[in-house]
Amino acid sequence: MTTFQANCPACGAPVSFKAGGSIVVVCDFCHSVVARTDRALEDLGKVAELMDTGSPLAVGLKGTHHNVRFELTGRAQLGHEAGGVWDEWYAAFSDGRWGWLAEAQGRFYLTFELSLSDVNAMPSFEALRLGHSVAAIPLSVPLVVAEKGIARTISAQGEIPWRLVPNETYAYADLSGPGASFATIDYSQTPPLVFVGQEVTLAEIGLAEARPPEREAKQTKAAQLSCPNCGGPLELHAPDKAERVTCPNCSSLLDLERGLLKFLKALKPGMFQPSIPLGSVGELKEGKFTVIGFVARSVTFDRTYFWFEYLLYNPQIGFRWLVQSDDHWSFVKSVPPGEVSEGFKVATFQGREFKLFQDATATVEYVSGEFYWKVSVGEKARAIDYISPPEMISIELSTIVSRTTYEASGTNAINWGYQEKAQPASGEINCSLGSYLAREEVEKAFGVSGLARPSLVAPNQPNPFIGLEKYWVAFLGLTLILGIFFMVTGSGRQVFSQSFHFDALPNADGTQTVFSDPFTLAGRKNIRVSAISDVDNSWVYFEGDLINQDTGLVQPFDLPVEYYHGVEDGEAWSEGGATTTTYLSSLPAGTYTLRLEGQWEKWQEPSPNLSVQIVQGVPRFTHLMIALLVVSLIPAYSRVRRFIFEGSRWKDSMYTSAASYSSEDSDETGLDDDKPITLGLT
Amino acid sequence: MLKKIYLGFGFLVVLLYSVSAFQGWEFGTSRREVLPADVRNSPGGYRSFHFWHSGFHGGK
Repeated sequence: MTTFQANCPACGAPVSFKAGGSIVVVCDFCHSVVARTDRALEDLGKVAELMDTGSPLAVGLKGTHHNVRFELTGRAQLGHEAGGVWDEWYAAFSDGRWGWLAEAQGRFYLTFELSLSDVNAMPSFEALRLGHSVAAIPLSVPLVVAEKGIARTISAQGEIPWRLVPNETYAYADLSGPGASFATIDYSQTPPLVFVGQEVTLAEIGLAEARPPEREAKQTKAAQLSCPNCGGPLELHAPDKAERVTCPNCSSLLDLERGLLKFLKALKPGMFQPSIPLGSVGELKEGKFTVIGFVARSVTFDRTYFWFEYLLYNPQIGFRWLVQSDDHWSFVKSVPPGEVSEGFKVATFQGREFKLFQDATATVEYVSGEFYWKVSVGEKARAIDYISPPEMISIELSTIVSRTTYEASGTNAINWGYQEKAQPASGEINCSLGSYLAREEVEKAFGVSGLARPSLVAPNQPNPFIGLEKYWVAFLGLTLILGIFFMVTGSGRQVFSQSFHFDALPNADGTQTVFSDPFTLAGRKNIRVSAISDVDNSWVYFEGDLINQDTGLVQPFDLPVEYYHGVEDGEAWSEGGATTTTYLSSLPAGTYTLRLEGQWEKWQEPSPNLSVQIVQGVPRFTHLMIALLVVSLIPAYSRVRRFIFEGSRWKDSMYTSAASYSSEDSDETGLDDDKPITLGLT
Repeated sequence: MLKKIYLGFGFLVVLLYSVSAFQGWEFGTSRREVLPADVRNSPGGYRSFHFWHSGFHGGK
């Protein structure tokens, strides 16, 4: 690679264009942006000092991506219209390509310029809709617009492959898709430039040796270390990321810009008290986090409902949230908007379906601590919640109007559908995944006690009455198999059969007794005693005993037989039967005698004929049914409780459970039930 | 917690069903009695009509 040496047109210091495709280089001495043209070098103006964003990257670092080596030749710091900056690094690849490595909030996105076959099909900046895909970008995975805004070039370093003009503003849109796909549309030129790539880790691009984004809590390097309103001290846990902070002494909301604290407004102190104090450190599943911010937000339906969000920070992991709503807790982390796809009242994330629960405008009521965006009391965002307990997908749509403080400088600032003086609405979508945390887990993690017990059911609270189905089916199956086994192997062996006939009784209270011949009973087999008698509109009653001849064990039983029949009003009827059966538990194996003592209605006459049979090892279908019923009791109870629980959950939703939602309810919600909810800016 | 309770309960029911089927247990079987040894050993033993109508209800 041939190095082009020259002198800075502003200060005369030597500047070098080492990379073949670089367009500008920033003078290390006077910070002028020097552009090389066909004829001479051009001074585009000076950039501000680089801000310390704590980036682990540096100009000159070398890495690899898909086995192609690259070197970071330059860096630009761009300002977001809502506040804050992000870094853009420029990677010169050994195969001649340029890669754009964007760094924001500890995440890295490597993209490459995409050549479009039909550039005229690209929509204008104003035509872009948040949450919608851009058909003109031909990709195998659909990317949706996650953010659109106005960027301003603030600072730069090294060699940059585009004509960076200091303080220039341009419109851009970031797109997000599944599988960490990412794209940017740059409206600084006509037609707009499209860069496509994906989120990467430093290790994936061979920069694992770069200094990890780890830093100790330290005072900001800014000149002011104390509150500009009261002079009290301030400590920032993430000084390189903080944009807004509240003074713990006077409750003032302060803006942090390039290390300088500026008073914004006084907040009413003590409006809301965090259940977990700021500065608390908690050990959660992902790691150790410090509570650095507290936000109270609200939605209004019939009345105003509040909930609280705790901003957590870990230098290696980044930012997370703890959300406290109706004394229920959720651990929340951001997910790329492109990973969430919406349908009619459902959203899908990583193959899981979430049902629409709430769609409302959320208002920030109170803030305390430090925040990585320009939070302000009163700011609103459309908040849409989808649930799949124990998880919840929350989509927040915020609208940003570009500020007049960012003014385009120079000519040709923005050409593609963006008028310099117009202020198109910008906005962004933030998606987050919340996982339910039990109150006890939060107490244990942060070493607090006495957190309020919830009384209502949270939208993403796990239903404690589910999960029995598979066990129930298993027990039913097991019982059935056993039942079939016992029925098949049951012997049903007849051990005794004899007929009896008794002479007339001496009186109505008299009885007659007979003893049978001995017979053998096996052990561990039930006993069925059946009696058949030819009674006709009469009854016969026998007391029976099985007597073990060796041990004297006596098993008594009853054998009542009655049968009545007739014709009444031309209709035949009958009652009872000629057969009676009784079951006895197994007796010890041995020799037994049957004793029968009988009475019958027509005692003056000889008894009706009686035939007695004894069978052992009879399969019992009734016992199987009872076992199946008993094993189903708890699942049935659980099922009822499950429905009651779900009813309580959905009671607070502006939608019923998606499965049961009907158009008759649309008047109650005030929403059109035949239109899918979209996230387009209106 | 409910899962654990149900698992224990379910196993118990299946076990009880299996044991009852294997052992030949039946519901509602009357209480058994044992003839005293002197009755069994006496001539005629329990077959004596006088014995059954002398108020025998399973001994002392």
